[in-house]
Amino acid sequence: MAEALARLRGVTARYDGVTALDLVDLDLPDGRITAFCGPNGSGKSTALRVMRRLHAPSNGTVEIAGRPLHDWSPKELAKSVAMLSQSPDAPPELTVQDLVRLGRFAHKRGFRGQQSEDRAACDRALEVTEMAHLAERPIGRLSGGQLQRAWIAMTIAQETPHILLDEPTNHLDVSHAFEVLELVKRLNRTEGRSIVLVLHDLNMAMRYADHVVLFDQGRVAVAGPTRSVLTEDHITEVFGIECRLIEIEGQDVPAVVPLPSEQAILAR
Amino acid sequence: MNRIAVPTRLAAMAACLVAVTVVATGVGSSALPLDRVVAALIGRGETMDEVIVWTLRLPRVALAILAGMALALAGALLQRVTRNPVAAPSILGITDGAAVGVVAFLWIFSDDANALTVSIHWQPLAAALGALVFSALVAVLALLDPQGRSPLRIILYGISLAALAKAAVTLMMILGPVYRAGQALTWLTGSIGAAHWSDVATVAAGLVLATVVLALLGRLVRQLVLDPDTAASTGVAVGRTQLVFLALAVALTALAVSQVGAVGFVGLIAPHIARFLHGQFTEGFLAATAMIGGALVLGADTLARTMAAPVELPAGALTALVGAPLFLWLLLKERRTHG
Repeated sequence: MAEALARLRGVTARYDGVTALDLVDLDLPDGRITAFCGPNGSGKSTALRVMRRLHAPSNGTVEIAGRPLHDWSPKELAKSVAMLSQSPDAPPELTVQDLVRLGRFAHKRGFRGQQSEDRAACDRALEVTEMAHLAERPIGRLSGGQLQRAWIAMTIAQETPHILLDEPTNHLDVSHAFEVLELVKRLNRTEGRSIVLVLHDLNMAMRYADHVVLFDQGRVAVAGPTRSVLTEDHITEVFGIECRLIEIEGQDVPAVVPLPSEQAILAR
Repeated sequence: MNRIAVPTRLAAMAACLVAVTVVATGVGSSALPLDRVVAALIGRGETMDEVIVWTLRLPRVALAILAGMALALAGALLQRVTRNPVAAPSILGITDGAAVGVVAFLWIFSDDANALTVSIHWQPLAAALGALVFSALVAVLALLDPQGRSPLRIILYGISLAALAKAAVTLMMILGPVYRAGQALTWLTGSIGAAHWSDVATVAAGLVLATVVLALLGRLVRQLVLDPDTAASTGVAVGRTQLVFLALAVALTALAVSQVGAVGFVGLIAPHIARFLHGQFTEGFLAATAMIGGALVLGADTLARTMAAPVELPAGALTALVGAPLFLWLLLKERRTHG
């Protein structure tokens, strides 16, 4: 494992007194695609928010790229870690292009306007997300899939080695979800960016993640390489459902087939 | 409109503002034709004209423009910080807070003979203090409320505290010295009245300071169109930035209303007109907003002193006449989009 992207030690985080993370220890590998999975309210999003310093933990220490989180200035951190939150929001009149430009904030200095490197970064971001032809369109007039790609373009324009995505496939249909995850894979494989994303769909995690962290009730149930984490036993234990992994001919990853738990069937 | 280059658009607005200024300087109880106004402005007019222009008209015109600019900038900043298009100094209780400051000042520092025991020059400070106290109250309420970050809650707190401030003002005016009540009333409706170059200098100095701050932090203003989490992820220290801009908006409001009284709705409508004419995400949005605010207050004041001459109407009544319907329209539109 290369140098860790993030290291959490004894991290506890609360929202209005409700514990969302409970004494979490976690090491995330650099240069990989890591998926955070787990039931609703298990702490996935909170862990991401704590790592991006959007939520202050009440206890414990967090390191990003080997440096304590509190050591980073806002702009330094923004040049190292970009994050797309679960429901980002901007005025509907804003054009895609203007939105993507906002991702360049940390790179600008002083009075200078848009520099050539900013323009290049925005153009590239629009290109890899296949949004270039919609650059002039107000974001209020995009479809769900396009809107999600516009936000991802803004995140990419930030040109950070690390990207955190909180449920990037939320509200997307299967084909759009695949599109986003293929993009994530490209960013990782061809540009070497490390990506941490919250995913609900275990099949997507199985296919795209190198490393999986399974959260359960504010704790890390198990973390490690995808195939060793997403096992029938672990999924059953964390989600409380029966589950079968089925190898499909011609596919390099098995399909995750969740089944109602025996107890649920008996209760009927 | 968007096809025209940004500098050209801003220059056109500046030219309009200058034209309105020249016209406004000309009209009045002894009307001057435009050529004589221009001659007096560039120092080539007759002595009498120059006195009318430089001593009587121009300070008032300049004060109206500068106060309008300050109010408009305050409105634009508030709309960005709260991410709410209907936020404005008069809606968030800042203007009414300033009114409490002024009326309390007039009451506390009046002696038995209705004379002020301290210099009237402290009145702007009293207005600023009142504005500060009430905006701090809104901020504290919003921070104590778990959903207080939502723009609608902030507006609701602002409106409630504005109502409280209005009640306090009314009570103080009834209980306070009678002569001062008249003076307070003039202030409350927003009236520019007799302006002096020293007042103009005060507001101008404040605006210069604000301009320097905004020139340094201008990009942050644009970054705040993003929700707080996303803005933070792009590198903005959100809490600190919001605090700085809120403080700046409060200072600008206090600066303006302490001189020209509670002229309402300019801070609300000027950014929207600028949005329509210039675009809210285009460079120079704040400059456009400021010029439009200046033109609005100048126009209102000019109409106010000429429409029913020799009776002077309060300029604030005219801006409210335009602003209140627009506020309602914006509220209804918001409800439609956020259903």
